[in-house]
Amino acid sequence: MFQSLPQAFRTHKLQADVRSLLLLQKSFENGLVKTFGDLFVVLKGIIVKKPQDIGPFSKAYYEYFLNIQFKPGETLGSAITRSVAFQEWKENYLESLDDEAETPDLQSLIDRFLDQVHLTSYDIKKIIDGKQILEQDNPDLEDQIDQDANASQGPNRPLDRASDFSDIDINELLDRMRRVADQQKDQHFGGSHWIGQGGISPYGFGGAAKGGIRVGGAGGGKMARKVIGDARYFPVDKDEQINDNNIDASLASLKGVISESAEEELDVQGTIDMGLKRGGLFVPELKDKISREMKVILLIDNGGYSMNPYIHTVTQLFKKMKTRFAHDLKTFYFHNTIYEYVFTDARRSERMNIDRFLKHSPDYNVFIIGDAAMAPYELGRSSIQHWLDIANKFKKAAWLNPDRQEWWEHTFTTKVIQEIFEMYPLTPNGIEKAVLEMNRKGRMG
Amino acid sequence: MAKKDLWDGNDIYVCDGDLAQAFHMARVLGMPLLIEGEPGTGKTELPLQYSKSHGLDLHVYPVGSKANVEQFVAKFDHVKYLRDSQIEVLNMQREEKGMDSKLSTGGRSTEQLDDYILMGPAAKAFMSPHSVLLIDEIDKAPREFPNDLLYALSHRKFVMPESGRVIEVSEEDMPAIVITSNREQELPTAFKGRCIYHYIAFPEPDTMKSIVIRHYPKADDEVVNTALNIFYHMRNLGLERAPSTRELLHWLKYLQQFAKEETLEKMKNLDGIGALIKTQSDLEKVQSKLFSSGSSDYMKRSLPN
Repeated sequence: MFQSLPQAFRTHKLQADVRSLLLLQKSFENGLVKTFGDLFVVLKGIIVKKPQDIGPFSKAYYEYFLNIQFKPGETLGSAITRSVAFQEWKENYLESLDDEAETPDLQSLIDRFLDQVHLTSYDIKKIIDGKQILEQDNPDLEDQIDQDANASQGPNRPLDRASDFSDIDINELLDRMRRVADQQKDQHFGGSHWIGQGGISPYGFGGAAKGGIRVGGAGGGKMARKVIGDARYFPVDKDEQINDNNIDASLASLKGVISESAEEELDVQGTIDMGLKRGGLFVPELKDKISREMKVILLIDNGGYSMNPYIHTVTQLFKKMKTRFAHDLKTFYFHNTIYEYVFTDARRSERMNIDRFLKHSPDYNVFIIGDAAMAPYELGRSSIQHWLDIANKFKKAAWLNPDRQEWWEHTFTTKVIQEIFEMYPLTPNGIEKAVLEMNRKGRMG
Repeated sequence: MAKKDLWDGNDIYVCDGDLAQAFHMARVLGMPLLIEGEPGTGKTELPLQYSKSHGLDLHVYPVGSKANVEQFVAKFDHVKYLRDSQIEVLNMQREEKGMDSKLSTGGRSTEQLDDYILMGPAAKAFMSPHSVLLIDEIDKAPREFPNDLLYALSHRKFVMPESGRVIEVSEEDMPAIVITSNREQELPTAFKGRCIYHYIAFPEPDTMKSIVIRHYPKADDEVVNTALNIFYHMRNLGLERAPSTRELLHWLKYLQQFAKEETLEKMKNLDGIGALIKTQSDLEKVQSKLFSSGSSDYMKRSLPN
């Protein structure tokens, strides 16, 4: 089953492989997956490996199982509204409502839809437990719930047993899922078979009419709010230019700069001391190699309008980095390119001679942030020489460019700079790549 | 059968649905649960409270910068072994001289290498079925440490040093393993692949309220609401170090000693704010923002939903 699942999730840059499938199968066999919401939770536990994965994972999950396609930058709500799955669900749902009931607005429909998609057996258990307590408390409550359930916004909503897979034979379920997975490829079906068209629907409505469980609003909109309101659930596009929304994803990428030294070396003094304590039994003692401090120089181009939108975010980002895990962060500024000086303040009034700048220890990680786009005459020979000096001195240097990558080749000076520095886009992914490359160079010495 | 029921907290620990399910899943599949999240969100509490409410054995390995597999699993006590083998020689010499009394090795025998093995928390946990094993703050460990655990995690067995004895546990008896991390460094992919991953999201105000109430059941409703308002307001100020659950609970603990009216007054003056705010610049920010906007303003506001 689900042979295409790893591939589909991998296109979202998630780690999914045969092992994920085996684990999923094992979870099925152990009865962990009873509802569609359980499937989300179980797959999330298997596939998501870091907080930044949650967004892409939700995206991949909606795409694969519900055939909800995201246009770049689109919100979850509007992607859902466009999808066939939601349309069919809506039709069924509206039919199931009483005639007198007011038609719910779109937002509450989406909430409702997400609630049902994410309804887990845990929620059901909670609801049932809660219901039993309620019933013991108040025998008249049943009628009251019936009335409330008809009102779309009422706190009490019907849930039904049809969403529980536990009575179904596991093979039948797998078979059914395989069919659905196959149909994903076929646009005629569009994966919407997950949504009640008779048969076993993960969130069908038949059950409610047959006297299924009617319960209080425990699940009410919890997941929906989570998905729509929470940046971690809402897909963050890691190839988007850096902004206040993905600053945390960028920060996570930067974390990789921390040098990890797990190397050990022979501790001669320690060996002698311990050997004497042990009464002449000398066992080699090891000590950790002192790990280098994380040192960062930030060189920001704050001239020109092209850079303005990014300066605030970039300085915020590195400031956050400093408070969280850097020990030594220095920021310098330049205007388009470097002549004789760099500047130590953002207003570019305090100069530092380039020779003095180059006296910094070579183990600094240098991030140069600029669009590298200037008039060709600005990038004269002496200026190029300065860049070369910087590149030679600091082996761990990277250029982060806020312009879109596809534009780079159209700017002459950008191409020149690219020959001197490794250039990466100023996106969470770009930063991550830059950091990996820096670390690799750091290790090579 | 292992303890595989769904567990979602006890009288003082609130475990939200997502976490309860992830933990359940990890136990059912016999895999470790890797929990990450902001400091002070109760990552370490989970296994502690779980073992407490089920009365299970708990084995803890607090990871530090010097963590290694030897401490975690077992190490061979060379010094004791050397001492005992010398005692044997001595005893033989004494026998030759016709002396009766013997020096004792405390019941250990140098033939039995197992006698000299000092077991760490991992080996102990694997030997007691259904126990709970906590590996706390694994991100503080050297990079080799998680990699060295790979074999043990996927094959559920440890090999003892020198003696070669194998400690193995069946999937049924597998201890519930919980690993916590503050994400100070990224863990190896292969390691994460062998864990069920859960990221603890910061609690929503209503969850937070139930957490507070479980800790301080007698707390006054108005006091709790006001405290929560101030707390979430502070978290939204964009501080360098946003206050966490733990710090909120500390603050409330401090406020508990006063009468209700006095407490509200103290909260208005941000008394005991040191429990929540940990840096000087944050303190200045809080004072300027909260006071300039009129401190009574947020007192009136109802809880955000």
